[in-house]
Amino acid sequence: MWSCATPRSSTRISGGLALLEVEGLAAGYLGERVIDGIDLEVRTGEAVAIVGSNGAGKSTLFRAIAGLLPTMEGRVVLDGKELTRRPAHRISRAGIAYVPAERHLFPAMTLKSNLVLGAYPGRPDPSALELVYELFPRLKERQRQQAGTLSGGEQQMLAVARALMARPRLLMLDEPTTGLSPKIAQVAFEAFEGLKSEGMTLLIAEQQVPLALSVADRGYVLESGRIRLTGTSEELDQNPEVRRAYLGVA
Amino acid sequence: MRAVVLDGIVLGLAFGLLGVGMTLVYGLGGVINLAYGQIVVLAAIVISVVMEDGRATFVAAIVGVLAAAGVSVLLDLTLMRPVYHQHGEERTLLGLLLTLGAAFVIGGVLTWRYPDGALYIFVSGDPISIVGVPMSVGSIWASVIALAVAAVLLLFFGATTFGRGVRSVIQDETGARLVGINPSFVRTVIFALSGALAGVVAIAQSMSGPLTVNAGFELTTFALIVTVVGGLGSVAGAFLAGVLLGVVNSLSAHYIGQYITTIILLGAAALTILIRPRGLLGR
Repeated sequence: MWSCATPRSSTRISGGLALLEVEGLAAGYLGERVIDGIDLEVRTGEAVAIVGSNGAGKSTLFRAIAGLLPTMEGRVVLDGKELTRRPAHRISRAGIAYVPAERHLFPAMTLKSNLVLGAYPGRPDPSALELVYELFPRLKERQRQQAGTLSGGEQQMLAVARALMARPRLLMLDEPTTGLSPKIAQVAFEAFEGLKSEGMTLLIAEQQVPLALSVADRGYVLESGRIRLTGTSEELDQNPEVRRAYLGVA
Repeated sequence: MRAVVLDGIVLGLAFGLLGVGMTLVYGLGGVINLAYGQIVVLAAIVISVVMEDGRATFVAAIVGVLAAAGVSVLLDLTLMRPVYHQHGEERTLLGLLLTLGAAFVIGGVLTWRYPDGALYIFVSGDPISIVGVPMSVGSIWASVIALAVAAVLLLFFGATTFGRGVRSVIQDETGARLVGINPSFVRTVIFALSGALAGVVAIAQSMSGPLTVNAGFELTTFALIVTVVGGLGSVAGAFLAGVLLGVVNSLSAHYIGQYITTIILLGAAALTILIRPRGLLGR
């Protein structure tokens, strides 16, 4: 239901085709390249995981795709549309919704106002609001509460819900389990599973590799800013190197 | 006593407008616009020149508001650009220095070209009695204008999509960019609004007494105090603080003396920072 035709999505049915293409992407801070030569693609309807340890460059990669960080080299293309070096607000309006680990909510506004702003510059579509409340019933109970006073789990739900309000083509989740208890993290991933089954395309960066692979079809292993490995979730799950480094298996 | 309080409220509403103009720019861009008072004066001089040219007061007022908004946007698009590339302390300091420079340039040019420049918009009519105090028609008009602008601003920020967008940039600029808001466009619009408010302040102030060419720094000082007391980026806070400080100003000027009034107001701002750093209604 998320993939249905909306003002922001083209009517072309692109099943199996690459929705997001990243080619030779390099980005970083103060002239230093944190990530380099990143090639990856995400097909419509797919869930793709980016796994890697702390400092591997996952957030830098996401920030570069989202336009929060200038790219030093390479291209970002969404459904054939060149997005390289576009400012973040243009990329957001083009259909990439990025939920950073720090969430960046509007703390002094109500939960509902945060959601309404998710649809900026438009007025929120009532059905989009219904959908996010259906996905996260807890948010509906708290819609008049100030975002800054919500619990960590609720803030994470709100960040995802706000991103969904614009009916994006691609949802990028950066470390969505940050600050969540294992139980809440599990609930969050069940919600992502639900989104995926409704047709949403997902790109998830996560340190908790088993969780990430549980929802993803495929994954990329990022190490020191470069892609080390790629494969289906089963392949990565069975890979001895991945098992040793990220799954705590000797 | 009643008359003094009423005078204070009239003055305070103008203070509130001044505060809104400064606090919004501060909240959005992290820039304390030290040239704000000079922009008010610029609007006043433009209005007086257009009026002397024989145009209707109403036309002159519109030209003045537009001129102030234009100069304000010009500041945002030129002088402020290097400021936005800085962060934290550097941004604050560079912003202070550059707007102070702009204050001297605008103020200097105006006093050089119009050494005796002043705006006094005389509104004819007999004083009207309010709670037993005769108020001049000019003061009443000034208050009505300020209140109307305040209502429009509160509606704009509370109920419109763009107004909400402005508040979101104040609260979390990165979050705003992620939902598709262009902060630099929002900033330019708010600079225009801030300039237009400076024009409205010039009109309101000159209805109850002459606004002279050298009033710039005094106005900036008031705007700064209202910003601190009202709270960063809060429109309602600025008006509340404006009215409160306006009344304090009148009482102190009447019972103690004008010379000490500014010091009392500055003291109120300092005390706010010590006791309630986020201001009356700031977050």
